[in-house]
Formats: sequence, C-alpha cells, structure tokens
Amino acid sequence: METEAKGRLDILYGEIGALARFVENAMRAVSEVGRPLMESSAQIPTVASHLTDLVRMTEDGVMEVMRLTELIQDSRAAVMGECRAVVESLRESRHVTLVGRVERVIADLNEDERRLTEIMTALSFQDLVAQRVKKLVVILEDVREKLVKLVVEFGIQHNENGGTTEGKTKEILRQLEQSENSAMKQHAADEILTRFGFQ
Amino acid sequence: MAADLTMKVLVVDDMATMRRIVKNILKQLGFSQVEEAENGAEALQKLRAGTYGLVVSDWNMPVMTGIDMLRAIRSDEKLKAIPVLMVTAEAQQGNLIEAIQAGVSNYIVKPFTAETMQEKLGKIFK
Repeated sequence: METEAKGRLDILYGEIGALARFVENAMRAVSEVGRPLMESSAQIPTVASHLTDLVRMTEDGVMEVMRLTELIQDSRAAVMGECRAVVESLRESRHVTLVGRVERVIADLNEDERRLTEIMTALSFQDLVAQRVKKLVVILEDVREKLVKLVVEFGIQHNENGGTTEGKTKEILRQLEQSENSAMKQHAADEILTRFGFQ
Repeated sequence: MAADLTMKVLVVDDMATMRRIVKNILKQLGFSQVEEAENGAEALQKLRAGTYGLVVSDWNMPVMTGIDMLRAIRSDEKLKAIPVLMVTAEAQQGNLIEAIQAGVSNYIVKPFTAETMQEKLGKIFK
C-alpha cells in the first residue's frame, strides 16, 4: 500500500517537475519576445509623429492652394466689375456687337467662378483625411500601451470571446470600418430629414 | 434664398481648412459678415456676446462637440431661435437622428458641394 502511494507521489513529482520546466521555458520564450516587442512599440510614437506631420503638411498645402484660389477669385471679381462698366458704356454709345462680346466674356468669367468654388470645396478632402489619420494615431497609441503592458506582465491577455483587440482600438476600428462601408451620402441623409418633416 | 445677407454667420470647425472653405462658399452666396470659432465652447462665448443669424458647425471638435453646442444653444433662451446647420463627416444614421432630436435646422454630409450648401440654406431661410 505504502509502496503504491510512494509510486504515485513519484509520478506526481515528476509531472510537477515537467510542468515547472515547461513554465520556465515559456517564461524564457516570452522574455525573449519581450525585447523585439519593446523595440517595435518604441517605433510607434515615431509612426504617430509622421502621421501627424502628414496632417500638417496636407493642411499647409491646401491652405496655399486656397490662398491662391481666393486671390484669383478676388481679381476676377474686379475684372467682372470692369467688364460690366464697359458694357454700360458700350450700350450708351450703341456698340451692340461689342456689348455682345463683352457679355460673353462675363458669362465665361461666371462659369469659371463656379469652377473655382468647386476647387475650394474639393479641398475638403484634407479635413476628411485628417480625421482618419487622427483616429489611426489614437489606435497606434492604444496598441503601444497594450504592447508595453504585455511585455511588463510577461503574459498574453485573452478576452473571453477570443478577440485580440479591445476597448478604444476596437471602437475606433469599428468606426473606421463603418464609415468605410456604410457611410451615409447626402441623398440618404436627405431622405431621413424628409421623414422627420424637413422640407 | 430669402436670407438677410447682412446677418452675422458663425462658422464652427476645429480644422482651419474647413472654416475657410465654408467661409468662401458663404461669401460666394453673398454673406458679408462671417466669423469663426474653433470649437463649441468658443462658439457659445461668441454667440452670447453678439447677435448672429446662423451657425454652421462641424460635429467632431475638441473641448466641446457640435452636438453638445447645439443642445446648449437650444436650451438657451437667448440663442435657441438661431438656425444651426451641421456640416459633418459623421455620416451614420444614428448621428443624424441624434442631431434632429437635438434641434438641428439641417444637415450636410462631407464632402459636399456649394450647391448643397446653397440648397440647405435656402430651406432654412425659405
């Protein structure tokens, strides 16, 4: 009886020893992964900084295009004023043909004015890009925080659903995905507005 | 559009590019007095200090968002009648319904055109 119990204890000790070696090896493996993880996470602020620079650079570029567009709009407004004055003078002196030609110039200037406004509104892409980039920067910061925590704790946190992204990152990724796949266009917004009594 | 073009308009957006775009369009539409604010809190200060006929606001802004500013405007006796046009990248139906419930006057989804802005202003001031 005693011999049998001692035999079982020996087996148990053997299994505990094997388990301890496994845990030690696993800890060593995790600690070896820790260094590259730390190195990678140390790069994240640089990536975030580059992304923030991109926002600033596109904003600077767009502002310069806007400045020049507005200068053109202002000088065109002045030219239009002069043309209208010329038309009035020509009418008074009954230069019908010249009146027609200057009026065509005014019509062309008007058409270009519309195009310049379209250029201005097209530049709103910068705002949309900047919003996406800001969300990416938040994700990167969150990932870095989690990596550092992972390395410090030497263990991988699992959520119950088997997912690997949680909290802020998951929410922002969901928002980005939603805005990509189901973003409402103006006509869809107008339909909802109409349903709520907006005429 | 039957709007009084001499009224003061407040453009609220944290992005300088968007403020400039909206100002430019409003100028093209004939509005001569357009001012700017970078967030909802700054906008409320300006609104309480002056007399404005229209607010054109973004949704996502630091300090105070557009939707919080809208709610503050609607709950302020002095300001609640001011039309608020939201111009935003928040393109989910839930956002639009939230804005409607908060008392938005109309809603523009970015990116947008000058024609859309003109149409929406026409509806607000018909």
